[in-house]
Amino acid sequence: MPTKTIRVGDTTKPDPFTVAIIANPYLEAPWNSGTFVPDPITTNQPAFDSCVNYIVASLFGGLAGQAERLLGDLAIAPKVRVLSVFDPGVPSGDQNSLVAQDGVSNLLVPRRDNFKPFLAQHGVEADVAYAVSLSQSHTRASAWFTTDDDAGPGNNFTLDGKTFSHRHRNITPGTIAIHSSATSMTAVHEFGHALSSYSNGAVLDLYVDSKLGLNNKRGRPIPASFATYDGVVMASDPIRDSLGYPVTWQSYHCELITPAFPALMDNYWMAPGGIPEHCQHDRITRQFLMDRVRAKISR
Amino acid sequence: MEPLKPEIKENLLAIRPEADPADLEEYERLLAERFATDPDRAAAPESKELRDSQSSEERLAELFHRLFVPQPISKS
Repeated sequence: MPTKTIRVGDTTKPDPFTVAIIANPYLEAPWNSGTFVPDPITTNQPAFDSCVNYIVASLFGGLAGQAERLLGDLAIAPKVRVLSVFDPGVPSGDQNSLVAQDGVSNLLVPRRDNFKPFLAQHGVEADVAYAVSLSQSHTRASAWFTTDDDAGPGNNFTLDGKTFSHRHRNITPGTIAIHSSATSMTAVHEFGHALSSYSNGAVLDLYVDSKLGLNNKRGRPIPASFATYDGVVMASDPIRDSLGYPVTWQSYHCELITPAFPALMDNYWMAPGGIPEHCQHDRITRQFLMDRVRAKISR
Repeated sequence: MEPLKPEIKENLLAIRPEADPADLEEYERLLAERFATDPDRAAAPESKELRDSQSSEERLAELFHRLFVPQPISKS
């Protein structure tokens, strides 16, 4: 069977919160070229299985020295279903290509529109989906946020006085393209992006001078308060501890849970001591992601 | 998007001394912004997001060429 259950999740629900991990059948090379080549991952199941083990361990806080528990929270972990799909027999073509090689970088880019129909063929509906590649030239992971089903139910929350919703379902799941050699906090960093939403809170990269998002604001001087999330005032990080804000930046971030280490959406490779596993999400990102998972679990 | 390891940045700037760190910073920012733009909106014909996205991709190609593609030695 191409589909394997890694964690059963909440068996009392017909559609528990689900993370899918797929061996990418075909690479589009380069992105938007319409040229498709077999992804070498399809002939290397041990590499795929090893990557599945890595992704699952990191999402549930199981890497050596990992500080960010995320889905490993005891009230959440048993509710999360994880499935893998290894199906090298699918025919070549656009619809079976889930990852593209970027033409202007070494990024692997998820071909997000193909994930839902591909998974549906395998009887799977996912909230977040990883496509694993063994590209010979492109190794850097990337993710698209979730497109929420804003016509459907959700759990409302407020951010700086405006009402948003942790939607229970998606139009397009959060999608990630990741190389089979990925290590450390990469799978968790990309999950942070993918679980977030284009319409109800975008979790942005904090290692560039980003635009406005749930976890990034802009302006100088940096105010003491970063945001009011569901009635709780959260402080700003005035100094981007351990890294510092470049003088040219306008971005500023939320307070860190562990000020000695960069936030997980920041450059975790720059963690002091060279130990990215010590990094955790900043305060607002952690609360937002956990609330979003809880809302989806409750559906 | 996975952040660059600091040693990769350092190597790039060491190998290509003509590479400007400000170009690399802009390149990284534009790559990250690509994923923060709702792709459904960026696909809508004549939308602002589509125009912005096209102009970002053109700039990315320029920066990629400048940062990563070896330049021919010019004859004087």
